[in-house]
Amino acid sequence: MNALAWLPRLRAPKLTEEQLERRAALPPAQPFDDTPLHDTRLVVLDLETSGLNVHRDLILSIGAVAIEQGAIHFGEQFERTVFRPNHQVTETVLIHGISPSAIEQGGAAGTTLLDFMEFAGQCVFLAYHAPFDHRMLTRGLRLDLGHKLRHKFVDIAELAPMLCPEAELSRASLDDWAAYFGLNNSQRHNAAADAMITAEIALILLSKARAQGIVTLAQLHTRLGHWRHLRQARRGGL
Amino acid sequence: MTKEEAFSQAGKTAVMQNVHGTMTFLQSYPPFNAMEAGHLAWMVEHCQLRFYARGESIIRPQEGAVQDFYVVKQGLIRGERLVPGQETPDTTFEIGVGECFPLAALVGERATRTEHIASEDCFCLTLPRVHFIKLFKLSTVFRDFALRGVSSLLDQVNQQAQTQAAEQLGEQYSLETRLDALATRAPITCQPDTPVREAVKRMHEASVGSIIITDQGLRPQGIFTLRDLRAMVADGGIGLDAAISQVMTGSPFHLSPSHTAFDAAIAMTSRHIAHVCVVRDEVLVGVLSERDLFSLQRVDLVHLARTIRQASDVEALEAMREDIRRLAESMLAHGASSTQITRIITLLNDHTVCRVIELCIEQHGDPAVPFTWLVFGSEGRSEQTLHTDQDNGILFEADSLAQAEQFRTKLLPLADRINHALARCGFTLCKGKIMANNPELCLSRTEWAERFDRFIRTTTPENLLSSSIFFDFRVVWGDASGAHRMFEAVLDKVAGNTLFQNRMAQNALMFRPPIGRFRDFVLARSGAEKDTLDLKTQGLTPFVDGARVLALANGISECNTLERFRQLCDAGVIEPLDAGAYEEAYHFIQLIRMQQHQKQARAGERFSNRIDPDTLNHLDRRILRESFRQAKRLQSSLALRYQL
Repeated sequence: MNALAWLPRLRAPKLTEEQLERRAALPPAQPFDDTPLHDTRLVVLDLETSGLNVHRDLILSIGAVAIEQGAIHFGEQFERTVFRPNHQVTETVLIHGISPSAIEQGGAAGTTLLDFMEFAGQCVFLAYHAPFDHRMLTRGLRLDLGHKLRHKFVDIAELAPMLCPEAELSRASLDDWAAYFGLNNSQRHNAAADAMITAEIALILLSKARAQGIVTLAQLHTRLGHWRHLRQARRGGL
Repeated sequence: MTKEEAFSQAGKTAVMQNVHGTMTFLQSYPPFNAMEAGHLAWMVEHCQLRFYARGESIIRPQEGAVQDFYVVKQGLIRGERLVPGQETPDTTFEIGVGECFPLAALVGERATRTEHIASEDCFCLTLPRVHFIKLFKLSTVFRDFALRGVSSLLDQVNQQAQTQAAEQLGEQYSLETRLDALATRAPITCQPDTPVREAVKRMHEASVGSIIITDQGLRPQGIFTLRDLRAMVADGGIGLDAAISQVMTGSPFHLSPSHTAFDAAIAMTSRHIAHVCVVRDEVLVGVLSERDLFSLQRVDLVHLARTIRQASDVEALEAMREDIRRLAESMLAHGASSTQITRIITLLNDHTVCRVIELCIEQHGDPAVPFTWLVFGSEGRSEQTLHTDQDNGILFEADSLAQAEQFRTKLLPLADRINHALARCGFTLCKGKIMANNPELCLSRTEWAERFDRFIRTTTPENLLSSSIFFDFRVVWGDASGAHRMFEAVLDKVAGNTLFQNRMAQNALMFRPPIGRFRDFVLARSGAEKDTLDLKTQGLTPFVDGARVLALANGISECNTLERFRQLCDAGVIEPLDAGAYEEAYHFIQLIRMQQHQKQARAGERFSNRIDPDTLNHLDRRILRESFRQAKRLQSSLALRYQL
């Protein structure tokens, strides 16, 4: 397959009238302002992709769980597999376990992403190693919908060590944190279950944030900024 | 299927994986394990998951009507209630993984009465009230559970216990069956002037063993049985043409149709009769024979009691221990409660003791001193299980100290023989020498009174321990009037001695129920008893001791623990709700203990009261913990009452 086959789609994804209307109606992003965390719609996101290269690999499935008013709503979950024509089986299939036949049955990329962005609504995204999901989603939306993602992301992998320094888990995996908080979930590595366990960790972290006096999105954003600087300074010092 | 439908379907299945995971979790716990999958899925889809950090308050009395139904997914919740006059709040219950709250408040549309606090970091599934109501209408299982709460769990346990035991016997038959359901055949009757020949003919035709003699209005006047016929023929004094009224047994024993098979069994055993009339508003409606009562042939309560009373030697009695064990097992299978079984065991043990005494007197020769056989401790409380120690003594009347000494010399060898004969019949010799062959426990009434007086006056630790054994006492053999007078005097003295009451209460707090503040059960940490707890000392003793203090202090002469609670409740000393809770908890611990003893007996192991809670199923473990919690509550109320 030609490695540049996707290029034309970058310029002009083919969208139907209805899809264009839906794209125009997508809700705005939630800024890091004085909105209390408790009143913010937080969407915990987990993407399964064809690989780890953010410039080349594609989103294969999206799992998301919404947190509102400090609670995960079981009725408000999102999980879709994305249809990818000519999808090549790579070693990552061993990690995410999405079979080629499941990809064949997946929804068209454009519609699936529209459905997802409508589900997400005016929210802040939470994810473990959020920069990866952020870039994958940004690129996916650009390629398949011609849409610019403006939503903010908070990285659980930063939030957790900031709020729980006593855990002394600096380069930990999602599994390490799940184990630290004593969570167990047997069906790991499908996007929905991963999103769920990330959301459970998020609930614990939100409770800790509240206990540490972090009430609004802006406060959370500022604290994360300080923490990042401090960490860099320490690393530089070493 | 269009592509649109196909992918929305794929999406649904994927989301279902999380819902499904939660359903699988819930299905390990009641009532969810009994709910229809569709209802459970509906519930989970409408649930939310919330996190509570340790120490966080989840619901509070001051917050008004409860808005959500909670299921603990991870962690432990405790309920705290502020007791007036106490500074720190009282932990009234603990709620662990898979359990729900606050049912009563939700159903009653009111605020909770207890503050629910996260004892550790917790995740709870919450279902908003509107959905709770919907689910309540949707699922019968859930509704039953919500309405009846823990008591519906107790039903489940009892059902479980019965099925388990019934599996070993393969027969379903309940001792709670009402007599009108058992005595269904029309009774065979005749008038008082009917000739004996005619009456016997009717019995023969109906092939029954008894005939009831009634007046015109079918009111029972007497009973005539095959046994009476045998006696009549052997005697030869009265001919077959005489009126039946001349040979019948007058005013036959009767019960009402609402009495149970159990009542009938007890009546037959204690009165040595084989037939019970069933009478409604004075009119005979049926007759129940022991054959109707026990379809099982091998373990026959009445028959067993009679065989015991007629046993020709100690060896025969010894052989009957196994029958008693089998009987207890079949009773458990037939749905008897732990109380019914302890009553039966006590009854049969009493018969055994009486027969042993009679046999020993026969062999040893009559000491020519009238005496009364007293039993103490669990035997005194009528709370014996298969695992029984001897705790007994002798009471006799003497005019002087010298005469008492003389009588004692005559009685002691006999007492020794009785003690050893009892040991052969399965009543283990008492390690503490609380037995009639001990000269200190073979006393005249005056000596006993002095001894009891000393217990009450001087509250040394030994005396307190003795009080807790000797003040649970009962007469098994011999004249009871002297013993009753003696106990009346004890009650009078205790009522007037607050120091003694106080010390007894203190003593009752000695054995702590094995539940920790944050953990499931507190277990032995090492040795052969590692990971086990003692059902008797840690579970039952707090109830027994608590009931004793309160009963003695309030002039209640009854010794049975449950009967003490009932009378304390009637006397207004404890609240009816508390009495009920204590009773249920006590029942349950006793039930678990008896099941364990049965298992040990079958396996030929030594009886032990120690149990590893992990060997119990989830439901039993949960109720056991709740039962221990009640024991703890009883102790706190004692502490408050006696300012300890």
